[in-house]
Amino acid sequence: MLARLNEPQPALVEERFDGSPDRVNRQPVAAIREEWRVLDRWWTEEPISRRYFEVVLESGQNVVVFRDQEQGGWFSQRGA
Amino acid sequence: MIACILVPGFELQAALRSRPRLGLRPAALAPEPGTEPLLGPVTAAAEAAGVRPGMRLGEALALCPSIALVERDPHGVEEEWEGILKRLEDSGFAIESVEPGCLYFDTRGVERLYGGVKPALKRALASVGASWNASAGAADRRFAALAAAAIARPDQAVVVDDGRSKEFLAPLPLSLLPLEQPRREELGHLGVKKIGQLAGLPGSAVAERLGPDGRRAWSLARNEDTADAGLNDIQPGFNDTRVTARPPATDLAEWLEFPEAVANELTLRRALTALLDRILARPERGGREIRKVALSARLVGGGSWRRTATLREPSAERGVLRAALGPKLAELPAPVLSLGIELLTLAEAEGRQLALVRPEGEELETRLRDGLRQVRARAGAGAVATVVEVAPWSRIPEQRALLVPRD
Repeated sequence: MLARLNEPQPALVEERFDGSPDRVNRQPVAAIREEWRVLDRWWTEEPISRRYFEVVLESGQNVVVFRDQEQGGWFSQRGA
Repeated sequence: MIACILVPGFELQAALRSRPRLGLRPAALAPEPGTEPLLGPVTAAAEAAGVRPGMRLGEALALCPSIALVERDPHGVEEEWEGILKRLEDSGFAIESVEPGCLYFDTRGVERLYGGVKPALKRALASVGASWNASAGAADRRFAALAAAAIARPDQAVVVDDGRSKEFLAPLPLSLLPLEQPRREELGHLGVKKIGQLAGLPGSAVAERLGPDGRRAWSLARNEDTADAGLNDIQPGFNDTRVTARPPATDLAEWLEFPEAVANELTLRRALTALLDRILARPERGGREIRKVALSARLVGGGSWRRTATLREPSAERGVLRAALGPKLAELPAPVLSLGIELLTLAEAEGRQLALVRPEGEELETRLRDGLRQVRARAGAGAVATVVEVAPWSRIPEQRALLVPRD
């Protein structure tokens, strides 16, 4: 069976007041390296609206997480 | 349809084969040495005394002081399970064994042979044997089939009609879902006690609260494809609607009985060398190299021990096999009465010529194929996939490439 590469994985994220991630999978965020938005398929019944953050955790790990603005919930994703 | 055969408490049942009287008394499978003191499966008499599988040993002893602890017998478990698998294969079932006590097969190949799904399941249960208290279930997906088998009574088959799996699953308890106990308790505190209640929740909320495992349980509860939940990263190649039948077993084993119990590592290493000589000389091997091998021992005072090794490269050299298996002898927990070796998977090629020049073309292809077989032997079918770019320009990462299994 076919599967997509780099599917988003549900992530446990605690937000700051401005909506940026404060903790990712229970690890504190040390720095936010980049932030961007992806708006796509707005002409279909399944539009995509995501707010991406590339963050560095206190352990030194680099992670890309996004908030799904359409359905809610945080996800981590490789290859973003 | 996918069918599931379930033998509850298989490890305990297998360990009790040599001591059937214990089956009528309160008894439980002893905790694994070196791990948390948690009980394995328990007998009906122990359950009646309030002892539950997974309970702490101290708590179980407080509840039922007369409980007997049955030593683990991994070799006996493998032997009995292999016997069941072979009987099923002899009856025409192409089976995928998940673990001792649980297997799946596709009913499409046998429905016409036995005159329908239910007669095929009855035949499968007869092949397993009435003494194992096995139950069977069939549905359009694996989890629904597993749930059907779990609620069926011993020697009974439950068939869930096509398209009715979701309704079938709805009233069943959450305990059937592969969820950790704290997650299940968390759901219980929120009033979610049935599979149907979980299925009714929004997926993103479940994922946010319970993480990937919760999301997977939610997909299973809705009888949906778990691949949609992005779980291929966790379980590559897992497919709810397909069964990958195991390749035919090689059935090559050699045993060495000792006149008295042996604990000396030097003696055991010599015994291993003798066993390797004997098994490598077996004509059934047909000159093929060995990819996966198991070392087993019967321990003094009952019980057994078993370790498997997958070789980095298939080999039929005594030194390579000795190097792979020798260190495992140091893990033996007790003196042994007999030592055995079993060839689990053999390579296809008969010998290999060392290369004078860099391999290319057909030779390279053959080696690549062999390497992929090696990975499959280690990680299971569906573990090898090719990345195919479909929309590399897409701004949405998951739409750029697909994983295509190379089975």
